[in-house]
Amino acid sequence: MTSGQRTGFEAVLAAACLALAAAALAGGIDAKELMALLAGVETATARFVETRHSALLREPLVSSGTLSYQRPNRIVRHTEMPQEERIVLDKGRLTIENRTLGSATAASLSKTPGVSALVESIRATRAGDLAALERYYEVRVSGARAKWRIDLVPRAPGLAQYVDSVAVSGNGARIARIEVREASGDRTVTEIDEELR
Amino acid sequence: MSAGSRVIVIVWLAALLACGAWLYRHVSITADLSVFLPPSATPAQRVLLGQVREGAVSRLMLIALEGESGPSLARLSRELTRELRAGGLFSYVDNGGAALVRREQEVLIEHRYLLSPATRAGRFSAEGLKAALRENLMLLASPAGALVRQLLPEDPTGAARDLARLLTPEAAPDTRYGVWFSPEGKRALLMAQTKAPAFDANEQQRAMEAIREALARAKPGQARVLLSGPGVFTAQTRETVETEAWRLSLLAAVLVFAILAAAHRSAGAVAASLLPVMSGLIVGITAVCLGFDRLHGITLGFGATLIGEAVDYPSYLLTQAAGGETLAATLSRIGPTLRLAILTSIFGALAMALSSFEGLAQLGIFTIFGVMAAGLTTRWVLPALLPPRAGTLKLRVPWFPGFARGEKARTLGRWFAAALTLAALAVLVSRHDRLWDDDLANLTPVPETAKALDHALREELRAPGVRYLVIARGASREGALQSSEAAAAWLRKGVASGWLAGFDAPSSYLPSQRTQELRRMALPDSTTLAKNLEEAVADSPFRKGSFEPFLAAVERTRAGRLLDLKDFSGTALELKIGALLFHSEDGWTALATLNGVKSPEALAREARRAGHEFLDLKAESNGLVSGYRNESLRLVALGLACIAGLLVAGLRSVTRAGRVLVPVLAAVLIDAALLLVLGKKLSLFNLVSLLLVVGIGLNYALFFERPQRDASERARTALSLTVCGATTLSAFGCLALSKTPVLHAIGVTVVLGSVLSLFLAAALAGRPAVRA
Repeated sequence: MTSGQRTGFEAVLAAACLALAAAALAGGIDAKELMALLAGVETATARFVETRHSALLREPLVSSGTLSYQRPNRIVRHTEMPQEERIVLDKGRLTIENRTLGSATAASLSKTPGVSALVESIRATRAGDLAALERYYEVRVSGARAKWRIDLVPRAPGLAQYVDSVAVSGNGARIARIEVREASGDRTVTEIDEELR
Repeated sequence: MSAGSRVIVIVWLAALLACGAWLYRHVSITADLSVFLPPSATPAQRVLLGQVREGAVSRLMLIALEGESGPSLARLSRELTRELRAGGLFSYVDNGGAALVRREQEVLIEHRYLLSPATRAGRFSAEGLKAALRENLMLLASPAGALVRQLLPEDPTGAARDLARLLTPEAAPDTRYGVWFSPEGKRALLMAQTKAPAFDANEQQRAMEAIREALARAKPGQARVLLSGPGVFTAQTRETVETEAWRLSLLAAVLVFAILAAAHRSAGAVAASLLPVMSGLIVGITAVCLGFDRLHGITLGFGATLIGEAVDYPSYLLTQAAGGETLAATLSRIGPTLRLAILTSIFGALAMALSSFEGLAQLGIFTIFGVMAAGLTTRWVLPALLPPRAGTLKLRVPWFPGFARGEKARTLGRWFAAALTLAALAVLVSRHDRLWDDDLANLTPVPETAKALDHALREELRAPGVRYLVIARGASREGALQSSEAAAAWLRKGVASGWLAGFDAPSSYLPSQRTQELRRMALPDSTTLAKNLEEAVADSPFRKGSFEPFLAAVERTRAGRLLDLKDFSGTALELKIGALLFHSEDGWTALATLNGVKSPEALAREARRAGHEFLDLKAESNGLVSGYRNESLRLVALGLACIAGLLVAGLRSVTRAGRVLVPVLAAVLIDAALLLVLGKKLSLFNLVSLLLVVGIGLNYALFFERPQRDASERARTALSLTVCGATTLSAFGCLALSKTPVLHAIGVTVVLGSVLSLFLAAALAGRPAVRA
């Protein structure tokens, strides 16, 4: 084996590595990589603004509040406007507290398949838990690391009846926007401004 | 062959042929396990057994798929569901998928105002509607928004939503990939209901095969199917009876045959030994078929073993016929003893025949007629068929006579027997409150592994067996439903007081006509409702005209007919209502199943006050079994008294009768105590086996007790008893090997009992040598 051959081989190897790195930075991202990226986040807090566009309403219904996440099983959605409501999903248990309605209900995920699947779409995406996502949805990932998008189509009949699709988009390890298209024709867009740790 | 002999043989053959011909046309063998359930005395017990026999719950089949990845199991679950629904053997198949649930939802949504307890006039006033719209707005802004939104235009008052909350079972199976899964995700789960009742073993077998074939067609890979449920148990039991019982019987027959061949060393004698048993079998089956309209497979299996002692009769005859003696002479010598042996067996079985438990009554009738036929064949047919000097004495048993004769050994044996009996009595007395196994579940011949699988699947499907029920009755369906509504009212208070977690009553799904009428009357007419709605919408961010479907829905309910059972046809709710609301000889019954019961006493008290019945199925079935067992014990005592009387009359001496009876009773006591020490509780089947031990033991004791004239006669007696003991041990030893709990229990009990009887009879009933 001559040194010229070795240099040629190393050059090819280096080029291949470079190409891979470039692809990872600029090119496509697959579900596994994205999930690994998202799973690296321990806690996250965010403000959210949700807008429902509905044919039943004279103008879009806007609500806002905070989201907080703690890896891997706890997510709290605290709505402040138009009224106070706290929804906690912790280790598969869903608790809804609404001071205005004066009600507090608790249920396990399996009892409320529709609501759980929706809350799970945020929780499992945030936790990078592909297996959990796939339990409820057909999952398709597109875009690049810097700007990705996950398309979820419900498979659980409890949800498919109401929801046509969910699109979660973000950049890096951040989730920026969730759009839900409902079977009724309504559309809900949630803009999220995340702070990660 | 003499003319007399010829007549006897012809009569015997004709009788057997007649029985055989009649059986060929009429025999019907069933595997209905409920024949082995005790009969029911109270209406509550009838409800219980009706449910066990024919109720919707009894037709439930639990299906689990395992051995592949989650997504493939989900695919198989869907394909299996589609195939089985199309197949026609099942009235309903559910895997947690959408289609069925949606049909059900449609019915509930369509009739929501008749079903909802919240249907009151205030709900439809302008103020009521304003409050409802405010609530809806709030829900639209929550994660449940998508779910609320869909029905909102036709249901702004949220009646359907409230209903769904009310009617969703507290615990549903976990869902993965759109179908039911076990919590850890290893098994896909399905629930099906067969059209055939659980006791129809053939149809249940067909249903099980249909499932296996449908799976095989769906390219299952490594996936396996697990099946359970009452119908599956029936089919498996029949299979067990057909394979294990027959295999063990065959093994036992071969062993018995070998022993007889070794003892008699004559093909003719061996063949002759089998004739009484064969005749007994045929006559026994005929008697059961004449007395009952069907013969249970288990009766056949057990009955064959119960008259197994009939093999002993020709052995006594042939081994007792000494070298030169004719059979006629032997018969005149041992005839009275043989007759007593046969009669005591018949009296023992009489207790069983009088039982109100059909399975046991069948066994009793079978034994009485079987033993009688075997006895008559031995007494009359064998001497007519065999050459006059067919007696055999080819084997010598050196050790046995020594034991039976030696004074020292016999004294020692007596002390030993007395000590054992006392110890046994001590065990029985110390455990007098824990003697009996009263669990109905343990009476089924279903092996433990099958019960464990059933339990696991029920847990995973969150369909545990129901223990507590509230029974509400009425003269008509409407009456029962009104009564069920009254029960639901106090049960709701019980839930609030923490006595129970929840309940399921038919009136929640199908309110009485009276209640539906009241709800319908609470709905305002269309102009009033339109005016109220307009006022409420003007006060909200909702667009005018958004709720036209609501106006139409209310008007539809006002003008339409009331909800009826047939509206649910083809849904799971139809089955649920059918299981909870039914007609029987006691009128209409509405059951409410309770879950998470914390305070049965409070519930029982409340039920009494409201005029309903509170039923603890476990206590009730235990009561049923123990009640039956007490009846059996009385019958056994009666049987023993008859046997004692018979012995006194036959032996013409109270002392001699005592000498025969004491070793047998001691053997039974020690046998029962040993079973308890071995960690078993006594079941009905042990009791039956102990009766058999009495029959066999009496035969031994009677022959030991017979006055023996000389050494040669003693040797013959020893040989007879050795042959008989060996055949009994091999036959029941085989049964003891069985994996089926019932067969095993019978085998162990009889093996222990016959060994004990043989030794105790030798020690206690045997007479010292008479000096000629």
